[in-house]
Amino acid sequence: MNKTITLILILIVRIGCAQEPDQYITRQGQASFFSYTSVENIQATNNQVLSIIDLSKKEIAVSMLMRAFVFEKSLMEEHFNESYIESDIYPKATFQGQIQDFDPSINGEQTRIVKGQLTIHGVTRETEIKTKIEKTGRTYVLSGDFELRIKDYEIKVPPILARNIAKTISVTFSFKYIPYEK
Amino acid sequence: MKKQLIKNIAILFFVGLLILYAGLYRIFFKEVDMIKTPAEIRISSEHLVASFLANEPLANNRYVEKVIEVQGIIDEITYLNDRYTVFLQGGDKWSCLMCDMQPDQIEKVKKLKPGQKVLLKGICKGFLKDAILLNCVLLNQKINE
Repeated sequence: MNKTITLILILIVRIGCAQEPDQYITRQGQASFFSYTSVENIQATNNQVLSIIDLSKKEIAVSMLMRAFVFEKSLMEEHFNESYIESDIYPKATFQGQIQDFDPSINGEQTRIVKGQLTIHGVTRETEIKTKIEKTGRTYVLSGDFELRIKDYEIKVPPILARNIAKTISVTFSFKYIPYEK
Repeated sequence: MKKQLIKNIAILFFVGLLILYAGLYRIFFKEVDMIKTPAEIRISSEHLVASFLANEPLANNRYVEKVIEVQGIIDEITYLNDRYTVFLQGGDKWSCLMCDMQPDQIEKVKKLKPGQKVLLKGICKGFLKDAILLNCVLLNQKINE
């Protein structure tokens, strides 16, 4: 009798574990960038970032529409899409990477390095991003910040505006993932 | 007589400055008044999503940066990062039309419920897993309950 109960309990636990999906998704991740210069500060935010993490493979994929960045000034948005990023030709920025030493079972907070390829403006570069991972119940929140040089992504700024745009841009992100039920 | 002329010139100069400021403010700072902006395209959310799923580059050319009036059934409403988003059914199990609502729409959005049919307007930005519309305003809160 005791053996039967034990077996049932094991099965329940296994079924429970099997129901936990491997993939988690956010369709409303937030990414912002900041350009600080003595002439002006520019900030833009995208609230529709798509990202999926695969817990078993410890992989992450991120995709965002460049046109979904919202600026304080409409003229900045126009310059960003038409002159710098060329959103008609390169409509998306993407990131594909691996979360190093990630243990999805840890409840609470862990800080890990995410290594992968970041593609902006059609240019792909190897990137390492220090990321805070918080697990609460069935949700994961990945957040962090990093810097990128606009020169690395072949983003050209006209000389007349060179003083207005920082050579290094600060990027922050916060993605809240929920189970991806297929 | 001369004083009057100077006074008139000063008034004209001041009015000119005001017009210039209003114009520059409109160009550089003010958001698009979506309620007053006429829609360039009228379409259902299912049709819009289907267009992107069928041929994304073609749909980008046709819809991106256009003011679109969309009719659809609410799948889900979310509040995240201080923003309300209304998801309209896309006729596909995995894809919806994601409508990021303007802050002045909050009170109207709070009254909406999944399953309700709505008409709204926004600027199409493209497609990821869902089609994305920003600066959305509700045109008719309850078409058919």
